[in-house]
Amino acid sequence: MNLRATALLFFSSHQSPLNPAGIQARHIEHNLVLIFGITSAVYLIVIAVLFFGVLRNHAREGFVPHTLVEDPDVDRKATYIVGGAIGATVVLLFVMMISSFITSHRTAVLANAQSLKIDVYGHQWWWEVEYPMDEQPFRMVRTANEIHVPVGSVVTIHATSRDVIHSFWAPNIHGKKDLIPGYENDLTLEVDQPGTWRGQCAEFCGLQHAHMAFDIVAQSRADFDRWYVQQLSAAPEPTTPQTIHGRDVFLNHPCMMCHTIRGTTAGSTVGPDLTHVASRSMIAAGTLKNTPGNMAGWILNAQSIKPGVRMPPNPMPGQDLNDLLAYLETLR
Amino acid sequence: MTLSFRIRCATYLTGVCLLSCGCHTKPSPVQNLAAGQVRPIAQINDSDDGEWHRATKDFANRRYSQLDQINSNNVSRLRVAFTFSTGVAHGQEAAPIVANKTMYLATPWPNILYALDLTKPGAPIKWKYEPHPSPSSKGEACCDSVTRGAVFDNGKIIFSTLDGYTIALDAESGKELWKTRLADFTKGETITMAPMVVHDHVYIGNSGGEFGVRGWLASLDAKDGKLLWKAYSTGPDSEVRIGPRFKPFYANDKGSDLGVKTWPPDAWKTGGGTVWGFLSYDPTLNLIYYGTANPGPWNYVQRPGDNKWTAGMFARDADTGEAVWFYQMSPHDLYDWDGVNEDVLVDLPLNGTTRKVLLRPDRNGYLYTIDRASGQVLSANPYAFINTTSGVDLKTGALQHIPDKAPRVGQVVRNICPVAPGAKDWQPSSFSPQTGLLYIPHQNMCMDEELMAANYIPGTPYIGASVQYYSGPGGHMGELTAWDPIAGKPAWVIKDKYPIWSGTVSTAGGLVFFGTMDGWFKAADAKTGTILWQFKTDSGVIGQPITYRGPDGKQYIAVLSGIGGWPGSIVAAKLDTRDGTAGNGWGKALPNIRNEVTAGGTLYVFSLP
Amino acid sequence: MSFRSREFFAFALLVSLCACKREQRIFDPGSAASQPAGATPLTEVGAGTSPPPGNRPNAIAESAYAVGEGKRLYQAYNCVGCHANGGGAIGPALMDSEWIYGSSLEQIHSTIVQGRPNGMPSFAGKIPDYQVWEIAAYVRSMSGQLPSDVAPSRSDHMPMVVPEQSRPKEHPGAEHPQPVITEPQR
Repeated sequence: MNLRATALLFFSSHQSPLNPAGIQARHIEHNLVLIFGITSAVYLIVIAVLFFGVLRNHAREGFVPHTLVEDPDVDRKATYIVGGAIGATVVLLFVMMISSFITSHRTAVLANAQSLKIDVYGHQWWWEVEYPMDEQPFRMVRTANEIHVPVGSVVTIHATSRDVIHSFWAPNIHGKKDLIPGYENDLTLEVDQPGTWRGQCAEFCGLQHAHMAFDIVAQSRADFDRWYVQQLSAAPEPTTPQTIHGRDVFLNHPCMMCHTIRGTTAGSTVGPDLTHVASRSMIAAGTLKNTPGNMAGWILNAQSIKPGVRMPPNPMPGQDLNDLLAYLETLR
Repeated sequence: MTLSFRIRCATYLTGVCLLSCGCHTKPSPVQNLAAGQVRPIAQINDSDDGEWHRATKDFANRRYSQLDQINSNNVSRLRVAFTFSTGVAHGQEAAPIVANKTMYLATPWPNILYALDLTKPGAPIKWKYEPHPSPSSKGEACCDSVTRGAVFDNGKIIFSTLDGYTIALDAESGKELWKTRLADFTKGETITMAPMVVHDHVYIGNSGGEFGVRGWLASLDAKDGKLLWKAYSTGPDSEVRIGPRFKPFYANDKGSDLGVKTWPPDAWKTGGGTVWGFLSYDPTLNLIYYGTANPGPWNYVQRPGDNKWTAGMFARDADTGEAVWFYQMSPHDLYDWDGVNEDVLVDLPLNGTTRKVLLRPDRNGYLYTIDRASGQVLSANPYAFINTTSGVDLKTGALQHIPDKAPRVGQVVRNICPVAPGAKDWQPSSFSPQTGLLYIPHQNMCMDEELMAANYIPGTPYIGASVQYYSGPGGHMGELTAWDPIAGKPAWVIKDKYPIWSGTVSTAGGLVFFGTMDGWFKAADAKTGTILWQFKTDSGVIGQPITYRGPDGKQYIAVLSGIGGWPGSIVAAKLDTRDGTAGNGWGKALPNIRNEVTAGGTLYVFSLP
Repeated sequence: MSFRSREFFAFALLVSLCACKREQRIFDPGSAASQPAGATPLTEVGAGTSPPPGNRPNAIAESAYAVGEGKRLYQAYNCVGCHANGGGAIGPALMDSEWIYGSSLEQIHSTIVQGRPNGMPSFAGKIPDYQVWEIAAYVRSMSGQLPSDVAPSRSDHMPMVVPEQSRPKEHPGAEHPQPVITEPQR
């Protein structure tokens, strides 16, 4: 993990295990605090004893260090001290082990059986998100890098990878779960505070591993439902000459070889689904804020922002770019 | 219905019962119509006229001729009467059409139509018609640039071109009467099927299930080529022509707009369900029957849901196109099992009563016996080796999948039987009322499959799967199974090293004719399956054999030789079999066929000396 | 360390740097969407004197990284749907020695961009130019035209095809013209 991500981990409350937003993260935080407390205390005691020993003996005038002389008193005393320390260590290790067991048990089991299933696919270097809705396939939603969940509901993340091993980690909500090609891992979680929580790929996956982030947007049930219905719709037909031309630019450039916009003939799944791209707050897997300026830079030369990314540079005349941005802006 | 006809029916049914009991009765010389109880309309003949007006011979799709001049006693003396080169060295899947002392041949792209004058020695060309279809359309045809033939109706010969036109010609002069463009090949839609005409309705469907098109069956007015209606295989009820008359038998098929609701949002627009097989028609019910092809893409992970109305079959009103019932053989198809195989209409004695049924040897390996009025599945027995499904639940109509054999994304699943081309692909079977057997040419094959993301880019393939095929248990790839529909089991089986990709024809002479991919054209005894005669043609045989009575009163057998089609593209398109996935999986199955057969395109007509 | 061994060490370091070139990546290829190639002739015969040289291949086209990208794009852009993994299907085989529209990098580039009348779609404007070169280079690797350290290695997938890096080199006729003998040998 690079420096920036490390800094984020400790100083941003939106991506930190110390600011739990879910019941499991809270358990993990408790365990973290307990283990941190115990190990800190042990560390302090050990250091204190060391200093005490060093300073006490140096302070005494004419001190002669112990030699290996048979002295039953000293020997007995030393046995008690060492034995006591070993005993305390064993007890503390057991406390931490049991606490860890309890934590993993609590985070693994969520009482509520009814859960919202979300499929997450890791790609180099972005996240594909699907709400499969097995019984009602026509209500399936596909988006990217932004996972919306209702607050207080149990959610099962069904995770796998389409290329290399990735790891799904939203520290405010739960621990890590690896995404392994060809295998499927489940992660059950529940967010109990509304808000946007940032997550990050936690397994080195290539050049742009550091820029492979996602947002978990926790909303009230009503807001979530509103968002869901809106995501179900196809892209609106462009109405102004500018947006109509913008769509033609999209369909006549390399854009359509990789992206889907439902309602048009673009239906490729190499890159993220853009049907509702304007409704997302970030682009490029949490790298840039979704503003027209950033989008323009991303389209023209993504390589200068995220070197090695699969998005090719797309130089185009200013007018075309303007119209394309206007069209993408309508994809709410 | 005449009294004598009823008696004949009864005679036939008794005959079938006796045969199935193992008694050897001499077949009656007068032939009977067990099925397709034809009502007197112009194009249908109760007694055999010795001609061959449509690929299926009759509306019941039996491909049975009452001609018996060539029979099991004299067939060994069969010899070539004349030949004709079509000049196109690609898969010859068409049936020659014989009407008014003329034979009509439709070739693969460039879709030339030849009329041969049968009255003159050697059958010279009477006229030919060249529609000049776009060469680019060849890149949008999944499995060689084939056509399955033309149809003769009321003085017109009607056929389609690969680039999406349906054309009617004056059968006598070859003059173009009308030309209608139905399919847009630039989006992947092509036409390969043989049209079918009933009551001046010309039925045409599209191909292109591997290109993310939306399947349909269209009806054109035979008089002027105007579009009467178009019934889509996916989408809202109004476009599928589902209305108040729609009464499917199973609960799964009931509900509104299932063509939309059983797909992810908008996926039905690129969902396949094309129509390129053979149609059947029942005049008493006035229903047409046809199957819909696979849903797109092959990668089923991208299209959760039952994917209606693909990989199933429709019964529609022949005039209005309204759907009357539907049955889905392979809901949420996992393996590219198009449901386009033919429906053979017969009346069967089952449990003491005579049922109006259709026999459907489906791509998924089951031979369905379906009540053709209601759509109820009466039985579904495997006619080929299957390890992907455990059967069909007759209560719900559901196919029972074995989860271990479902293909997966990014993982290779091995030994899946039957293969993507199915237990049987397009190659049509024939039914002989004389023996009561259905002659099914089919495959005995298994495959490895791996799924990957499919990208919809208009005009390019939309598949998302990598496959390779090989022979099934026994080591042979082809079988001709004579199926006893009453006993629900095979009477005999002929094995062949290559898939039997040709159709069959059965005759009152007690014979079944079929061809093999390594070039042999064979006649088998209809009762025992003994090969009585064979002839080596210049190329592989994958066409539809026919038989007719010539102007001289003699019986002739005709077939087009010319390897191609899906497996034969290895030869016709010179594919490299070092790649097992060449030809969408055939590279591994047919590594040496290019050393055995060369491409060709020749008509062979046989007769007795 | 003696002078000689230091020299040798520096030389070894330089050699190892050369070896890295096959993995060289250029993150800013800066090329526009592909346009129909200008003057790449598809025939060996030209009216007048010999045909003019065609458009110039991109410099990065035949690095191992570029060819690997070409292999990925060959899947992503549906080439595999028509040409399978080299054996061909709807379109012709690419691993054999038959080249209808030419086997050079420039000619393959032109074929992808322009399309061909017998069914090959045109990808003009749809694939960035540097990616067309990458795909063209990968297509050449299928018939063993690239050095084995540049061509991709075995796929972790089903197709039982010989890896591109160890395929026998096919010899399209146009690539190896024999010198024409003008004087009868005495």
